[in-house]
Amino acid sequence: MAINKQHAIDPDKCTACTICITACPVTAATRKFRGPKMTGPALTRLRKLVSDDDPMLDYCSNCKTCDLVCPSGVPISTLNMMAKNEYYKTHPRKSKADDMLAHSEKMGKLITALPLGSTFANLGVSIGKAFNMMGAMGITKDAKMPSYASESFISKFKKIKQTSYPRKVVFFSGCYINYNQPEVGVDLVKVYQKNKIEVAIDENFVCCGSPMVSGGYIDDARVNAAKNTAILKAWVDKGYDIVTACTSCGLMLKQEYQELFDFAGMSEYAAHMYDSIEYLAKLNDEGSFNTDFTPINKKYIYHAPCHLKVQAIGRPSMELLPLIPGIKIEEADAGCCGISGSYGFKADKHEIAMKVGSKLFARIKDSGADLGVSECGTCRLQMENGSGVEAIHPLTVLRRAYGL
Amino acid sequence: MKKSDVLIIGNGISGLFAACIAADRGKKVQILSYGAGTLTIGGGIIDVLGYTDEGRPVTDPVQAMGQVNPTHPYAKVGSDTAKKALNTFLKITNEEGFPYIGSPNKNKWIPTAIGNFKPSCLVPRTMDSDVVFKTSNILVIGFDTMKDFYANMVTKNLKKRLDSDKSIKEFTVTLNFEYGKDLRDISAMDVARWLETEQGHVSFVEQVKPHIKKDTVIILPPVLGLDPNYKVLDSLEKDLSCSLVEVSSLPPAVTGTRLTKMLNSYAKKRGVQVIEKAHVVGAKVVNGKCKSVITEGFDRQREFYADQFILATGGIYGGGIIAKIGALTEPIFNIAIDVPKVQTEWSHKQLFADKKQIFAQYGVSVDENLIPLTAEGKQVASNVKVVGRSLAGYDFCYEKSGNGVALITAYKAAAAFCGEA
Repeated sequence: MAINKQHAIDPDKCTACTICITACPVTAATRKFRGPKMTGPALTRLRKLVSDDDPMLDYCSNCKTCDLVCPSGVPISTLNMMAKNEYYKTHPRKSKADDMLAHSEKMGKLITALPLGSTFANLGVSIGKAFNMMGAMGITKDAKMPSYASESFISKFKKIKQTSYPRKVVFFSGCYINYNQPEVGVDLVKVYQKNKIEVAIDENFVCCGSPMVSGGYIDDARVNAAKNTAILKAWVDKGYDIVTACTSCGLMLKQEYQELFDFAGMSEYAAHMYDSIEYLAKLNDEGSFNTDFTPINKKYIYHAPCHLKVQAIGRPSMELLPLIPGIKIEEADAGCCGISGSYGFKADKHEIAMKVGSKLFARIKDSGADLGVSECGTCRLQMENGSGVEAIHPLTVLRRAYGL
Repeated sequence: MKKSDVLIIGNGISGLFAACIAADRGKKVQILSYGAGTLTIGGGIIDVLGYTDEGRPVTDPVQAMGQVNPTHPYAKVGSDTAKKALNTFLKITNEEGFPYIGSPNKNKWIPTAIGNFKPSCLVPRTMDSDVVFKTSNILVIGFDTMKDFYANMVTKNLKKRLDSDKSIKEFTVTLNFEYGKDLRDISAMDVARWLETEQGHVSFVEQVKPHIKKDTVIILPPVLGLDPNYKVLDSLEKDLSCSLVEVSSLPPAVTGTRLTKMLNSYAKKRGVQVIEKAHVVGAKVVNGKCKSVITEGFDRQREFYADQFILATGGIYGGGIIAKIGALTEPIFNIAIDVPKVQTEWSHKQLFADKKQIFAQYGVSVDENLIPLTAEGKQVASNVKVVGRSLAGYDFCYEKSGNGVALITAYKAAAAFCGEA
């Protein structure tokens, strides 16, 4: 029995049970949000009849906790995103920052292409904060913004000499790894090589579109989805599996594309898509995961990103990292961090984001852990910002344990 | 790690409790869950058996199990195991710092959101209703602008039910929440969040205190904190010098959320893994034994292996049973449930009939070991057990036995898989 994916966008599957309201982190943090049930399935039914006028939609962070807890499989957050995109067709934007935050790739490309671009950009962020230019744009002055790397991942990748192996994957690095934390991409290549996997990249990949959909730029996301779908399908046809090391990219490419768009080949390549750690956990299940670790005598606290939880793959990091001798690792299990990609950077959402994340921050601090661990780049940033404890990708932990 | 000793499908109260029992006995347990489980929005209390088939109130639920119909899940479990199950639940609540009160051998009468009383067995201390019957002054507290709780209706109905010599009054606490078109309606959860803050606590005490006489009990909606502990209750009882009793209430009920959090916390401490959003679409049964179950999402199918399987997917509402015109099926093992082809024969003409509803009793038939049976009476798979709302033979709504059947059958299944009778 297969799930009819096209049929997934059906508000009438909602029985109004209110489970999503009990779980929604934004609902808990502010009464300015009507809650997932109301803005999602309930109002979607009305939107079929009357024109939409619901500014509250802007408060949905697209964290997908509602989808996670819904027993009826209603794609509540996606209903919200579709409605939000409709809303902005006829309503002005609250903030000038929306465009920039939704098109982070544009910024990354621009900055890393310029000589010393990252230095000036990072400087620019601090000067901008000092003169409250960010505030004027609608970006909070209180959040720690992502900084830009001096060299992109794609550029670094080209300098890595790999051993060829029969098992091959194509790595969709995504904007955050490519422009902000290229080291995580390098970690992936090193760790995969240690596990006899050859990693390919494709310079034609574009931003997955996740920030565009959340920001209300679904038409731009559609253009990117068309490009990425064709490329991904072609790699799968060549016998490659696809891996991502950002859980939002992964979710977008394999699920949200299917919910939102209708391009040929999406379900075919989705069958071969894996989170980078999930892929290694698969090797572990098959008995071929390399556990040639040197001990790490440190204490870690792991935070599962919302966009990982909703992928139905469990906690692959909590399967693999405990295999490292000496490691102490526990799961935070303290809900959403609040950042939701770009949500927490917006001036009118920052306070909500910090309130959502407050349980996680307290949990990290109380744990006395040396380091935080999470698959999501902006979750890591928010964890550091809220708790003062550095956070790294699980691939980084594995690379260190391999002594690479 | 797609192989476990015991694989549980469903994370409602029966799935979580079965996981706790098996994990306590050293088994490697995984839960496949799709959605949060209707437990989250339920009343968070353990009804075991409130009324007999004839509608007579039950005093001792465990003893009354001896008289149930042979098709009832309790008839397959037996009262000794039932008692063990309920005592184990009490032990868990104790360990988690959110002890429930009550005894498997005695029903309590707890107030409802409309001011009636219903029988229940094990309840959190926030619903310790005995005091309502002993105290001479009852103060029903509502909150202005809060939905789904009407203090005046509760007061009116309580006056009908209780001795006329009691003083029953109502008082509405002003929340002073920002209110308007651009803000969400106020639910019990919002009020619970407010009472957890210092400001909310002080405001509540200041407003209510003048209305407390000697020998007063407060009845209020379930708003005494979102987490499984008694911090809010204890501090309010101390500052007001009286008892507070929450009513059982409508979704989203914070009482169910507390119970969910508690059971999850206990299970996770014992290494139970929960795979969320895992939609189980089928099972592989070879030579009369289940080898694995299959999940399917937006990407691909995945196979999860185990030695033993517990089916805790719930009823029609929770998605564990699928109803179509003239047919009812359990979708994972594809068990056809024997129902009349003519849909009108599924129910009594009066929805609120004073007897059990026919449709409510439909579910998966099992043998005395809770192993599912086909319509022809053959075992579906010898290493599968069915627990909770998926089971046939009872109407939890009529007899008030919902969470009781869930806990007791879950205990029996998990303990049997761990080698206990």
